[in-house]
Amino acid sequence: MNSRIIAAALALVATLTTTSPLLAHAFLDHSDPAVGSTVPSSPTVIHLWFTQELEPAFSWVTVSDQSGAAVTDGNATVDPSSPAEMTVKLKSLSPGTYTVKWHALSVDTHTTEGDFNFTVGKG
Amino acid sequence: MDSFLVATRILHYAASAVLEGVFVFWILIAWPAFRRADAAQGLRSRLDRRLFTLAWWCLIVAFVTGGAWLFILGSQMSGMPLSAVLPAGVLVIVLTQTHFGTAWLIRLALVAILAGCLVVQRFTRNQVPAVIGALAAAAFVASLAWAGHGAAAEDVPFDAIHLPADILHLLATGAWLGALVPLGMLLAEARREGSADAVTAAQAATLRFSTLGLTCVGTLLVTGVVNTWFLAGTVAALVGTLYGQLLLVKVALFVVMIAVASRNRRRFIPRLTDVAGKTADRLLAVFQLRRNVLTEAGIGVLVLGIVGVIGILPPGLHTEPNWPLPFRLDFGEIAPRIQTVLWVVVFALAVCITVVAITAWRRHHRLTTASVAALIVFVAIGCVAAWPGIVRAYPTTYYASTQPYSAPSVARGAPLYAANCTPCHGADGRGDGPLAKSLPTRPADLTESHLFAHKAGDIFWWVSNGSDNHVMPGFAAKLTSDQRWDLINFVFARAAGIIADQATSHISTAAAPPLPDFAYEQSGAQNTLSQTSKTGPVLIVLYAARVPLARLEQLAGSGQRLSGAGLHIIAVRLDSSAGKAPFEVDVSDDVRAMLDLFRTSTDGGETELMLDRNGSVRARWTASKNGGLADTATLLSDTVLVARIPVAAANHAGHAH
Repeated sequence: MNSRIIAAALALVATLTTTSPLLAHAFLDHSDPAVGSTVPSSPTVIHLWFTQELEPAFSWVTVSDQSGAAVTDGNATVDPSSPAEMTVKLKSLSPGTYTVKWHALSVDTHTTEGDFNFTVGKG
Repeated sequence: MDSFLVATRILHYAASAVLEGVFVFWILIAWPAFRRADAAQGLRSRLDRRLFTLAWWCLIVAFVTGGAWLFILGSQMSGMPLSAVLPAGVLVIVLTQTHFGTAWLIRLALVAILAGCLVVQRFTRNQVPAVIGALAAAAFVASLAWAGHGAAAEDVPFDAIHLPADILHLLATGAWLGALVPLGMLLAEARREGSADAVTAAQAATLRFSTLGLTCVGTLLVTGVVNTWFLAGTVAALVGTLYGQLLLVKVALFVVMIAVASRNRRRFIPRLTDVAGKTADRLLAVFQLRRNVLTEAGIGVLVLGIVGVIGILPPGLHTEPNWPLPFRLDFGEIAPRIQTVLWVVVFALAVCITVVAITAWRRHHRLTTASVAALIVFVAIGCVAAWPGIVRAYPTTYYASTQPYSAPSVARGAPLYAANCTPCHGADGRGDGPLAKSLPTRPADLTESHLFAHKAGDIFWWVSNGSDNHVMPGFAAKLTSDQRWDLINFVFARAAGIIADQATSHISTAAAPPLPDFAYEQSGAQNTLSQTSKTGPVLIVLYAARVPLARLEQLAGSGQRLSGAGLHIIAVRLDSSAGKAPFEVDVSDDVRAMLDLFRTSTDGGETELMLDRNGSVRARWTASKNGGLADTATLLSDTVLVARIPVAAANHAGHAH
């Protein structure tokens, strides 16, 4: 029964101890076309890979050209077999810079947002 | 709304924990304790009534705060104001289409089961409803794991450990912290009753609680270490982020709780169990125990407060840690043999501390003195052994680049370098700019491999705030943080290029700096170097002006054998847009400029680089060098060798946040 104080000593030794159910966020890990990249010709889809699994119901992507017009073809989808990846189809893009805005809800209930550019044509 | 969510979370956690605590207390503590104190039946029924009331209140609070939590999250998830959440049907989507919603529906069903158990339990003497209630309450607490980080997957192999650890942590919290409240009630009732039987019941309950507490504390320790490892990840994240600091405060509170509990065991429980002693003395012990239990519960509320706040912060892994010390321990600077000594010392320290704790508890003063002396000796040995590893550190040392190490960032960094750095460091970065001779300290040579021995965060500090007593000025006011990272990426890429020039046709397994990532298009398909590298070694063929058609066709001739061995070939023409040569890829101008850093003008018109799966240059051939380019047999055997070089551990610095 003296082991309680041993546990206390262990606590001191370990110094790193308790945590609780904590919430994390889904961050953009990488994308295709890559963040800030220049691709030679129009991609047909844009893939975004996140650091965590997404809730499709509350995650979306918009891609717009320099005038702000949407160039996506349909809504972003999350494939159940790859729940951390969001994909959206694109219309045929003319050379220029495009802005991708993403809004992700991770399965642990946290919302993150971000945006990046990519360029089509010779950079 | 954040503070409202925090308050809701704290109340919900507290109510859930106490709910579990009441049932655990009933089954594991109160009933067995009263079985040995038959005469205390009056005490038992009074306690039962109070516990019923407590359980009902917890259930109501958990239900209401659970609903509020769902509402707030619905609003946050959808981006709608609270008032619009219900009319827009957001709650239905949350409940039916998210993991959180599934967990909440299950928990709603558990609330109904718990209410049923409480009703049936109230009117029967049967223990079955309480056992079912205990299981439901445990499930109610455990399912909170799905409202948190435990549900999230980052690295698949770890999931199998993290989620169970999270659940056990929650269950142990409920059983220990939650059961403190019923224990306090029992002690209060026992003191009010004041009879010898009541004291006996209190004694039995306290002893049983002690065992339960020990089990829970052990569980909390192990699962807490596991969770910290997953969520804080590094020492820097633990001490340098708000998240990590709150975790440390939580640990400190936990230690205080254990200290209070151990005082109970050492001082008050012996008085309580002293059967020969006077009842009045034993009653006083009951009073003191109750006071300490309330203190523990009070600290427990503070712990839950931290849990409430911490849950809405991003974990330490995902924020930049501000390193608080002017130095750090760099294991890489310590010789391997000395590293072994250090591990032995760490183990010996742990043993010494444990021995000190045990002997102090058992009052073996001589042994305690001896082990403290050993402790001091080991600390001294540890300090001496670790000394070479102590290196200068800055607040930004553990910062990760905000800009991915890739061609676009390098392209942005190049003009920034030319405009700000050339006067001192020189156009080539060799520390020989026009102003270099007039300076009291020679500017750093930014082309040496030693550059990569520094953490990017150290270099970020120097670029931002200057170095060498401000012989180098800081650029924090002149360049944005992103621009400074672009600049650093350029400096790294150029140094990597110069170091790659020294690479030979022999495969080197020593640490090598990687090529920046870039996008390319090959036969109509878009790809990136980082994605291609993951599948195996890559041969990059760089040339300008004269297309080495014969060579590319030779490679194409053995293309199947090479790709069969896992080699991917990328040919890049650096001076103009792509033609139609085999393996030729189309890239943008910034990629050409970046790749030009990895080629010299004396290469006889062509350079070939073999990259490992990390994108690091492992071998280099040029058309002009002795031996020239590699034949198929060499490429095949080198591919096998390079494929064996392990992939470096996932680096959060590589994330494009």
